[in-house]
Amino acid sequence: MLDISKLERRWLKYKIKKILPYTLLITTVTILGFTIPFVLSNRHSSKAMIPLKKDAIKVKAPNTENDEGAMVLEPSMHFIESMDTPSTPITNTPTSSTKPAPTPKHSIAPIASLPTPTPAIAQTQATKAPQPIVKGKLTSIKRDDTAFDIHEIEDRFKDTSNPNLGVYIAKYHYDHGNYSEAYNYALKTNSINNSIDDSWLIFAKALVKLGKEEQAKKTLQLYISNSNSQAAKNYLDTLDKGGSK
Amino acid sequence: MEHSLFLKPRDLFMDVVNPKDYVQIDSVSHMYQSLKTSVQKPLKMILLYGRPGTGKSMLLHKLHHDLSKHQKVCMIDIPIIDEDDFLRVLAHKIYSYASREALTLTRFLELSTAVNYPVIPIVLLDEAQLYSPSLMEKIRLISDARALKFVIALHKTDNEDILAKEHFQTRIWESIELQNASHEELKIYIQKKLLKANCFDVASMINDKNIKLINKLTRGNYRDSNKLMFSLFSLYVWYEENNPRKIKYNALATKFIEMAAIHTGLIHA
Ligand SMILES: Nc1ncnc2c1ncn2[C@@H]1O[C@H](COP(=O)(O)OP(=O)(O)OP(=O)(O)O)[C@@H](O)[C@H]1O
Ligand SMILES: [Mg+2]
Repeated sequence: MLDISKLERRWLKYKIKKILPYTLLITTVTILGFTIPFVLSNRHSSKAMIPLKKDAIKVKAPNTENDEGAMVLEPSMHFIESMDTPSTPITNTPTSSTKPAPTPKHSIAPIASLPTPTPAIAQTQATKAPQPIVKGKLTSIKRDDTAFDIHEIEDRFKDTSNPNLGVYIAKYHYDHGNYSEAYNYALKTNSINNSIDDSWLIFAKALVKLGKEEQAKKTLQLYISNSNSQAAKNYLDTLDKGGSK
Repeated sequence: MEHSLFLKPRDLFMDVVNPKDYVQIDSVSHMYQSLKTSVQKPLKMILLYGRPGTGKSMLLHKLHHDLSKHQKVCMIDIPIIDEDDFLRVLAHKIYSYASREALTLTRFLELSTAVNYPVIPIVLLDEAQLYSPSLMEKIRLISDARALKFVIALHKTDNEDILAKEHFQTRIWESIELQNASHEELKIYIQKKLLKANCFDVASMINDKNIKLINKLTRGNYRDSNKLMFSLFSLYVWYEENNPRKIKYNALATKFIEMAAIHTGLIHA
């Protein structure tokens, strides 16, 4: 059998060994980062301020200038420029192919009002023609990246109405950026079993991704009042604080 | 223990070759289809090769399982190194010919013409790197005479290029190379295995980051992945029983994966 405590000790040793070089590197860099400017400023203390140019860091070779042969590091001021012009905001819009679901009128939209499931990428990849074997030659058949056949599982979900499958599929779609699909499956799952945290969370998260944050909050509140779910509360909290992940 | 969520997943990843547990992976099933087609072509000999743990034995067993519904197939998974034994075992298995003495090749070929099968019987040889060149030559002659059709599986190792060996250089060989799983294939492999056994909860715990780590540790080798998953779920079974608070159900813990890798020797610590 497994000797867990021994294994945990070995793991800890492994972790420390793995992290050690990085920690050393980081500490040296930080120490250098603190000491170099200090040393430099001491040397230049009697001189005028180093002019700040809008160039990238320039390292002047020693002895080429009439200086004392010290390296002069000139900070780049580019970042200030970039602060002036507002950079494009990071948006959390759903990626590509997903059609946003229409705003549900009631707290929970009926399945029918949602767009029909968009066929997943899985199918197109799966129908790739098999690679033929060339006679008399060495055919090294490369494994191409295969799409996971979610349809098979979707069919089984249809047949069995097993809510665990539903959660699985909803998660799968959510992870693949098909938020309306995720929404659909979470909704179906909730209607089969309305006390699965994960399903409600995916449901709410999908709503957020589809730009229906208010709807998501309402749903979560409703669910929390019925279930007292801690996970749902936590997620609602993050939403209230403005985080959307 | 009986109610453990991880007990069933653990047992799924035991390193055994059973065609019933065959998981369909796209590229492998392409290969499998071509294998099935090649098997129907007369004269060709089929060489299935790849690194250890890439699923050669599994594919061979699957082929055996599927073909034996329609025709005479004989699987020799433990190599018979002795040349006399080899012919005698084949004669017995295929032509039901029992003999205590050694069989000559000529006698063997006579037997094959006497017993008339509607389709040429297929012999599947696993671990064929262990057969001697002279036995391989005999195998080739039997195949040439259209008495039997051979599919042989052998390892490819780093220090020896078996394909360069003389007897595989001839045009009669049709070669199929099995490779390690890619990230996507490993994901499919693990997920399908779990889903087939209705382990949905555990299946949905596994995220892309987990697969990435597993793939990094096992380099997509199916056998190593099985071993890793087996000890990983053994760890989970233990923690579930002894320290359940350490288990997070939203994803597989990196720490546990690494611990399992240490246990299986994939990480040296
Ligand atoms: N398609 C598959 N479906 C299910 N299990 C698989 C599949 N491919 C490989 N495996 C599993 O991976 C493990 C290793 O496979 P296998 O024994 O066939 O490798 P191998 O190539 O024959 O290795 P070796 O060269 O060492 O004999 C086995 O436990 C097998 O069950
Ligand atoms: Mg094998």
